This record gives sequence, C-alpha cells and structure tokens, in this order.
Amino acid sequence: METDASPAIVFDHVSVTRSGLNILDQVNASVPRGSCTVLIGPNGAGKTTLLLALLGEVSYRGSITLGGGRGLRIGYVPQKLVLDRGMPFTVAEFLSMGVQKRPLWLGISRDAKKQATALLELVHATHLIRRRVGTLSGGEMQRVLLALALQQDPELLVLDEPSAGVDFEGGRLFCELLDDLRKSRGFTQIMVSHDLGMVAHHATCVICLKRRVIAQGPPAKVLTGEVLQTLFGMHMGLICAQDHLHSMPAGNEQNAPCGEHHHG
Amino acid sequence: MVDLSWLFHLASLFPLDGMDMRFMQQALVALVLLAPMTAALGVQVVCYRMAFFSDAVGHSAFAGVAIGLVLGVNPHISMPLFGLAVGLIIMFMQRFSALPSDTVIGVVFSAVVASGLAVVSRNNTIARDLQQFLYGDILTMTETDICWLIALFVLFVLFQIFAFNRLLYSSTSSIIAKAHRVPVAFFEYLFAALLALVVMFSVWGVGVLLVTAMLIVPAASARNLASSAGGMFWWAILVSLSSAVAGLSLSVQPWMGTATGATIILVSCAWFVVSVVVSSVRNERQS
Repeated sequence: METDASPAIVFDHVSVTRSGLNILDQVNASVPRGSCTVLIGPNGAGKTTLLLALLGEVSYRGSITLGGGRGLRIGYVPQKLVLDRGMPFTVAEFLSMGVQKRPLWLGISRDAKKQATALLELVHATHLIRRRVGTLSGGEMQRVLLALALQQDPELLVLDEPSAGVDFEGGRLFCELLDDLRKSRGFTQIMVSHDLGMVAHHATCVICLKRRVIAQGPPAKVLTGEVLQTLFGMHMGLICAQDHLHSMPAGNEQNAPCGEHHHG
Repeated sequence: MVDLSWLFHLASLFPLDGMDMRFMQQALVALVLLAPMTAALGVQVVCYRMAFFSDAVGHSAFAGVAIGLVLGVNPHISMPLFGLAVGLIIMFMQRFSALPSDTVIGVVFSAVVASGLAVVSRNNTIARDLQQFLYGDILTMTETDICWLIALFVLFVLFQIFAFNRLLYSSTSSIIAKAHRVPVAFFEYLFAALLALVVMFSVWGVGVLLVTAMLIVPAASARNLASSAGGMFWWAILVSLSSAVAGLSLSVQPWMGTATGATIILVSCAWFVVSVVVSSVRNERQS
C-alpha cells in the first residue's frame, strides 16, 4: 500500500546494456523521501546512466518506481549546457519559455518576468536576469539551471555533477543553497558527485555505484575504507572522507532512513 | 480557386518597373509569403543545428518531381509530398537509430539524390527541368502555388504562436525539456514537417543550391544584430523580407539581369557583412 513514507525512488534490478557492454548490472537501490542522495563511483561506473534511466532517456531492464508508483514532478539540472555562446538568448527568456503561453517574439509578459525574478531570487542570482545565457560563467549557469528546475516546483530534483566546472567556494555555496532549498521546499534530491568532501558534508544518503550497487546508506556508515577501496581501488578517498566524517555536523542525518544499511 | 486578384493589384502598386505584369506580381507575392517563413524557421534551424537537414530535404526536390512525372502525378504535388516524407523519415531515423544525426541525414541525402538522378538518366524529357531546380525561378510561380503558399503561411503563423517557446526549450536541451514535461517529439516532428514543406516551396524560388542560404543567412545576420531570442525572430524576418524585395527589384534591372534567387541571397549576404561589423563594434564598446 502506498504511504508517504514510501521511498521517493526504488530502483529494482535495473540493468542497462549498450553495444554488448553492461553499463548497469542489476542495480537495486532506494532513495528516501526528502533526502539528499548522492551517487558516487569511479568514471564509467554508470552514475550518469542511472540518472538518464531515471529520466527515461536510456532504455533499461528492471523497474524504476517513482513516488510509490504515482510518479513525481521532476526538476533536472544537467552537468552543463551545450549552447552557442553568441546566441542572443536572455536569462529572462530562458526562464519564461516554459511558463509563458504567448510566444517570446511578442515579448515577455509581466507575470513571466515576475516569476523569473522570483526564481532568480531563490538562487541568489537576480542580477543575471538581463544577461545572455551564453555569457554566464559555470557557477552562474548552474544557478540559472537550478532556477529553471525549481520552476517545475519539483518533488524530485535530479542533478548531474552540479559542482563540475565550478571553483571550490562556488561548489560549496551551491551545495549549501541546495540544502536550504531542499529543507524549505521539501523535495527529494538525487545527484551525482565526484567530490567526497561534499558528499560527507551534504549527503544524507549515499549510493556507491560501480555498475552495480556496492553499498548504500548514510555517509557515516557507507564511506568506510573497505567500500571506498572496492569503489576506487585505493585508500586516498578514505583518508579524506574519514576526516570529513569526524567533523560532520550532527544535523546531517536529520532525514529519512536511507537504504539497506540503515538499522531503524 | 480563391480569387487573389486583390493581392496582385496590391503588388502592382509596388514602385518597380514591370510590376504591371502578372508574373512579376505573382513573384512579389510569393516572395513576401516565403521570406518570413524561411527567416523564422531559419532561426529554429540555427538553434537546432539543422542546416544539413534542410539541405537534404531541398535536394530531394528533384527526385520528388522525377518520381511524380514517372507516376503521372503533378510535380507541384509530388515534390512537396516527397520532401515532407523525406523530412519525416530523417526525423524518425534520428530518433530511433544509434547512428549520429549527420550520418543518418547523409545516408538519406545520398539516397534521394541518387534516386532523382537514376530516374532522370532513364528519361531525357525530365532532364531539361534539372536546371530549374538547381537555380530556381520565382518568376514561374503559378497562382495555384500561391494559394498553397497562403495555406502554408497560415499554418506557419499558428505554429510559431503555439510552438516557438516549446521549440526554444527543446533546442536548448531536449533532456531538460522532456524531464520538464515538454512534448519534445511532437513539436520536433511538426517542425520537421513544416520546414520540409517550406524548403520545397523555396526550391521553386531560389533553387536547390541556394535554399539553405535562404534559411541560414538571415538567421545568422539576426544572431549578430539581436539582443534577445524574440529580437532575433524579428531581425531575421526584416533581413529576409528586405533581401527578397531588394533582390527581386535588382534582378529585373536591365543592367543587372541576374537570376532572382541568387540576387536575393547576395543581398542577404550583404546584410550579414553589415551584421558582423555591427556586432564587432558593439562587442568592442562593451569590452
């Protein structure tokens, strides 16, 4: 029976094969509601493929259940946007194209502009409204893409390496912004990240992926030497991660139970 | 047949020698209908990077006519229908094939050109029409063609009203658009169908060789001149319409005597040069 306590996403024996190669092999995992779940793993582990399967962009075997079967409204923030940098396309238009009925060649309506400004306020980027999308820096682009995703009033926010191409400070601020938004708007967040420090500080649930699920659960329980060695084949990650874990704020485990490794 | 005499009367008021002749009036009306369509669709072709697609559809024109003649179908009907089919086949193959998009288009492109040439090589009477398709001739547009163009123009306006924003969304990122519940496939097929039909009508006017130029050059100029996506739409129409009217006016001057299609494209290329200068000056001021 469906309840609000059901996981936001359940991956059940999800496999993806491309050109005879197993990209994902029998992935079983669940993403708790309201959690910040991070997919980690080495290059080629299938993290982005799992997100694309979730978005229906790649075909897969097995099943992916969203919101206990009733589906979820999704907001998606890609790693980057391949755009013609010289294209005259303003941030205001970018944030109006999905909500305005009137074609943009008749101008932006007052309502759409108000909504675009409100969205940019949420991501602390109102100053970008008149800028061309092609001239935005990596960090600015991430905020505008996040604003576009938030326009969907998402129940599930999907992010593919949001801090890639952003400097350390920018990445940290972006993660803090995501934490605040998640708490205030109550969405579930699933993201791919390579940054174990960020994972330790911001994730409430971690899924370790290397074509199949190696481990899943709260970061304090999952980011162990054994798991990281299986995942990355070396101890470097462990040293960094354990340092972060010792200094991890207590509030980090506030969210719903996470995955198989949780013992409630 | 719809009575279009009022439209031709309006065209006859255009201050240009020879506008009292019906074929000149028809040419002007056809260009005033075609130019905004190629311009606005050109903006979307630039956004979607679909220049090669429109080239392939344009090159299917001759096969469309040749196959129509062989099957005893009026070329004015067989050509746009064949172009439409080619456009939709390319879109379908792009969506469901693992091959890169330009490879798919390249295969279909080769197939339609080879089909056209194969039919022509068996039938010499069709071969003499080849030149018209290569260079086009807006002066041969018939009243029936113009009726079809008006119908297409109405479809085009409706499409631009309802689909412009959604197409912009999906051309920015089809994955984001799909995740955010935009029916991407529906709009892309509609766009491909409309583009294929407009390309086929443009082939009558400017020929296979220049049809892509009619889509791309005004859009490229507009990209340099505009400061927003909405602005780019209007700039492209202005560049295209003014190039079409100026190209027609110049080409019929005794001292020019050039092909109308080529003259139109040359005028829009002059627009492009101006747009590059304007854009450079603007960028210099900003930096």
